[in-house]
Amino acid sequence: MTDHLPPAGSPSLGSPSPPIDKSVPHSARIWNYWLGGKDNYPVDREVGEKFLEVYPGIVDVARGVRYFLARAVRYLAGDVGVRQFLDIGTGLPTVDNTHEVAQRVAPACRIVYVDNDPLVLAHARALLTSTQEGACDYIDADIRDPGPILAAAADTLDFSQPVALMLLGILGHLSDYDQARSIVRNLVDALPSGSYLTLSDGANTSAARQEAHRQYAGTGAVPYNLRSPEQITGFFDGLELLEPGVVPVSQWRPDPSPFGPPAHVDTFGGVARKR
Amino acid sequence: MDRTQDQADHNGGQIGDGEAGPTAARLLLGAQLRRLREAAGISREDAGYVIRASGSKISRLELGRVSFKPRDVDDLLDLYGVRGGPARATLQALGGQSNAPAWWHAFKDVVPDWLEDYLGLEPSASLIRTYDVQFIPALLRTRDYSLAVLRLGPGDDDRTALEQRAGLAAQRQQILRRPDPPRLWAVIDEAALRRPVGGPAVMRAQLKHLIQAVRLDHVTIQVMPFSAGHAAAGGPISLLRFPEGGLADVVYLEQLATGVYLTRPAETIDYWSALNHLATQARPPAAAPSILRKILAEDYAASEHDRTER
Repeated sequence: MTDHLPPAGSPSLGSPSPPIDKSVPHSARIWNYWLGGKDNYPVDREVGEKFLEVYPGIVDVARGVRYFLARAVRYLAGDVGVRQFLDIGTGLPTVDNTHEVAQRVAPACRIVYVDNDPLVLAHARALLTSTQEGACDYIDADIRDPGPILAAAADTLDFSQPVALMLLGILGHLSDYDQARSIVRNLVDALPSGSYLTLSDGANTSAARQEAHRQYAGTGAVPYNLRSPEQITGFFDGLELLEPGVVPVSQWRPDPSPFGPPAHVDTFGGVARKR
Repeated sequence: MDRTQDQADHNGGQIGDGEAGPTAARLLLGAQLRRLREAAGISREDAGYVIRASGSKISRLELGRVSFKPRDVDDLLDLYGVRGGPARATLQALGGQSNAPAWWHAFKDVVPDWLEDYLGLEPSASLIRTYDVQFIPALLRTRDYSLAVLRLGPGDDDRTALEQRAGLAAQRQQILRRPDPPRLWAVIDEAALRRPVGGPAVMRAQLKHLIQAVRLDHVTIQVMPFSAGHAAAGGPISLLRFPEGGLADVVYLEQLATGVYLTRPAETIDYWSALNHLATQARPPAAAPSILRKILAEDYAASEHDRTER
């Protein structure tokens, strides 16, 4: 008689995955809905639709953040030559995920994805797969506790070489601004000189968006806290902000367009270098 | 749109080169025509009148259930105000393609009726998610394993027919070898790996084949161990997702002598959800190679008998 495989939750495999809660709306699945994806439950679509009614601009925001991510990663992998990425708050796979953009520029890029949602992790592990030359790893962890993230990421990333830290649309999950700042500082402190921080977050620059977020907080989803552009800029303190600074993500080094400058969106972001 | 144009540039539905089979062409064209009709504010009945048919015929066309006559496509495009340009050419070409013979036409005699639509759709999917309880997923079987499964099932025991059906199975797998392959995300129950279908030699080769397959960037395997919690999935599930946003997921449930298709989101969601649950409970993809090697060593180590057989 042969012994059978250890259960999914045996110690060698980490803790067992909690079940997916289909009754509570989840930000990753709602974003997937706004981006036109099919990986969402009725409860996510319902909340996403209600949000859209109050603040239709969220679709431009969702797309704008994806394009911002793609431009920033292309710049970092292409122009700067960064080969390591730590992407916290991965979200459900969409087009042009971090490793796809980076490995298109340089197939040897190494990417660590971090999320704490079982559905996101299952999708990331199955679909966000690396080139043969590079590597992708997936960490089940919460940004509130950076220590384990950094420890696990060290299995894939070499922290003596520059790392691009990606924090897109995640810090709003932390209600306390000072706590969010200190988490960013902890993460950046672990990176060597020549590393980069790419960060974007929802801004309180529109009454409609603020109202949509206020209602969203009552749906049972983890509330998302909007911050002022100044507060978002504050996350980059101590770092060297690249041009054009912290701006609506659509306006961060936009690709040339025959239709003039891109529209304003109520999500601000930037890229900074650690000296 | 590029992809649609690309499909339209070819004719026929050959598998293995990234083209849509006729089933997908029908679905695509139907969905596009429905969008155009609704945008023009025209009722199904009025549209039907123009092509000398009923409103319910328009329904069937728009659902991709029936094929299109070129003249009907022309008349509908006129009615919807699509008078020229690339859009019209694309839709006309899709109409032509939807009438082309299916890639599996050469195997017509041995393709069970219920499998036809699935075979037409599979090559157009960008993502194929499967859950298998008893057998290795069809796209990952060796020829000998396929033959062994076919001998177990209903249908013709005639050797030629069996060979033909195994040939069809092999042809179907070509989609994984084309330049722009779909991604296969398979959850396989441990039972399917331990059950000695066709005997130890067949299983040994099959497991080695799986170990090779997971090396491909676009093939993901997760093993569901006996010891893990289980989704109430019942039987095998296949879910096809298409790159075109307008096409809903298709769920296919194969049974002993029939297959069930689900296309309405209200019906497919439970299976999508079950696949998600299975994926979170099964061992992660990175563990697959070592699990497969472990089972190969434990259950199918080469015996004296196997060696003398060669």
